[in-house]
Amino acid sequence: MTFLRRHRTLATITAFVLVYAVIKTLNLTGTLNAYYIQLIMLVGINVVMTLSLGMVNGFTGQFSIGHAGFMAVGAYTSAMITTVWLHTSTANPWVGYPVFIVAILAGGLMAAGAGYLVGAPSLRLKGDYLAIVTLSANELIRTVIRITDVLGGPRGLGGIPKFTTLEVVFVFAIVSVVLMRNYLFSSHGRSMKAIRDSEIAAEATGINTTKQKVFVFVFSAFFAGVSGGVFAHLLQFIHPDNFSFVKSLEYLIYLYVGGATSISGAIVGPAIFTLLPELMRSLQSWRMVIYPLILILTMIFRTEGIMGLKEFNFILIPQRQRKGVSA
Amino acid sequence: MALLDIQHLTQFFGGLRAVSDFNIQLEHGEIVGLIGPNGAGKTTVFNLITGVYTPTKGTIVFDGQNIVGKKTYQITQAGIARTFQNIRLFSKSSVIDNIKIAYHFRMSYGNTDAFLHTRKYWQGEQLVDDYAIDLLRLFHLEGHADDLSGSLPYGAQRRLEIARALATKPKVLILDEPAAGMNPAEADELMEMIHWLRDKFDLTILLIEHQMRVVMGVCERIKVMDFGETICEGVPEYIRNDPRVIEAYLGKGA
Repeated sequence: MTFLRRHRTLATITAFVLVYAVIKTLNLTGTLNAYYIQLIMLVGINVVMTLSLGMVNGFTGQFSIGHAGFMAVGAYTSAMITTVWLHTSTANPWVGYPVFIVAILAGGLMAAGAGYLVGAPSLRLKGDYLAIVTLSANELIRTVIRITDVLGGPRGLGGIPKFTTLEVVFVFAIVSVVLMRNYLFSSHGRSMKAIRDSEIAAEATGINTTKQKVFVFVFSAFFAGVSGGVFAHLLQFIHPDNFSFVKSLEYLIYLYVGGATSISGAIVGPAIFTLLPELMRSLQSWRMVIYPLILILTMIFRTEGIMGLKEFNFILIPQRQRKGVSA
Repeated sequence: MALLDIQHLTQFFGGLRAVSDFNIQLEHGEIVGLIGPNGAGKTTVFNLITGVYTPTKGTIVFDGQNIVGKKTYQITQAGIARTFQNIRLFSKSSVIDNIKIAYHFRMSYGNTDAFLHTRKYWQGEQLVDDYAIDLLRLFHLEGHADDLSGSLPYGAQRRLEIARALATKPKVLILDEPAAGMNPAEADELMEMIHWLRDKFDLTILLIEHQMRVVMGVCERIKVMDFGETICEGVPEYIRNDPRVIEAYLGKGA
């Protein structure tokens, strides 16, 4: 039985590796050029961003709308570390990659810290306060970066070494998705959903709802921060406007169109809506008509998002068979 | 000493006195009813006991410990569980998950185990699954274990809410209108169940109920409230014939 369950985590990894293999093959055979590969890497980053946002919005029922702010904290923190430490020795991958990993984790921790500062006071309150506070925090972070000269200010921060490859993105996405999936399929994950369904009842069943909400918000910010780090080392140039409220809005769209209460939805949403504008390139200006049209139609016909409450089989952790229960 | 000892409980909402000098002592194993017309302050008393509101005045001593000012979840963890007047299940979670959620604060593993699905996680999950299915079986809900709780029929939802409250291992169970919306046959079943609950789980039960048949049939002692004041207290036969109670419910006779 235990083997079967481990086998399921293997299934999750296998699914990702298969996707990777297909993309890599297409890349090597020349079907997918470097531009498309970069696009696919953005999909991977967006999946983690969307899923981490879904932890707060979809599964805990809060409404955070400034996720790009935490991404910015992670992007700038990690970029500062790698550019300052490695400006000469990027050529040696044995030095480069460990520093890169330390840098993106440090970015995650900084973002988590920012998440705590934003979440701890506002999650104590019930209702829509979180939306206003996260929106403000997003713009606050962006403005602070804009006026801080060390971070490049309004010129942006360039010269970031390129560490993010297709492989890095896949490993990053697999680890992040598996960790968050695991958390959701735990007692703590059940508590999150309880808070979403009825905060009053969750308190009445002995759950410290404030503590649980703050913890989810903090680790959501952590994953956003690490995503920011991976993002910065892909583009090699970051600008405060990369992390504006509009960016946060994009993640909200990915999340709610994909299905906010589904891990699979947080994969499908960003995958479709990162690739779609490119696939419709031949339609020229019309794609900016069709893109929102698709959004509207999805919301009308699938209010709960494309995936709704459903999950891909490879995401699920199966219930164990119980003895002596007739269903 | 009483298991739950409430003295001089008073609650103001602005200028409105919702509860005034409310006193009650629950002895271990008792079933006590709280009745009164709409707006009498019964649910406010429940909300004060469970920490939803902090009382303006008064003390609530549970098991020798003053619980005034504690948070709702701390009071639940201390051993007072409740159900709600309008059922509040976790409707998008399965039936069995509703039970497991109430077990959460006693769960043996932490955040790290949850992220990594360590051995401790699997042990904890197995334990809670066994526990939850056994509890569901007692309430004849095991066949619906994996259904969404929101899809259960009304009576089953009421039973599940009680089962969920029991999963916190309470000493005192507070039921807010458990028979609301039930037909006489279902209400009879409920009365039987309340007695059975008390014996099986060694509980002390405090309940609000509007169906007089249920209150009279199940409670050993009844307290009657009107406009925040306690107007009468005693055994069911006494309450039934008290003119103050009849007046509160039916109005002054001509």
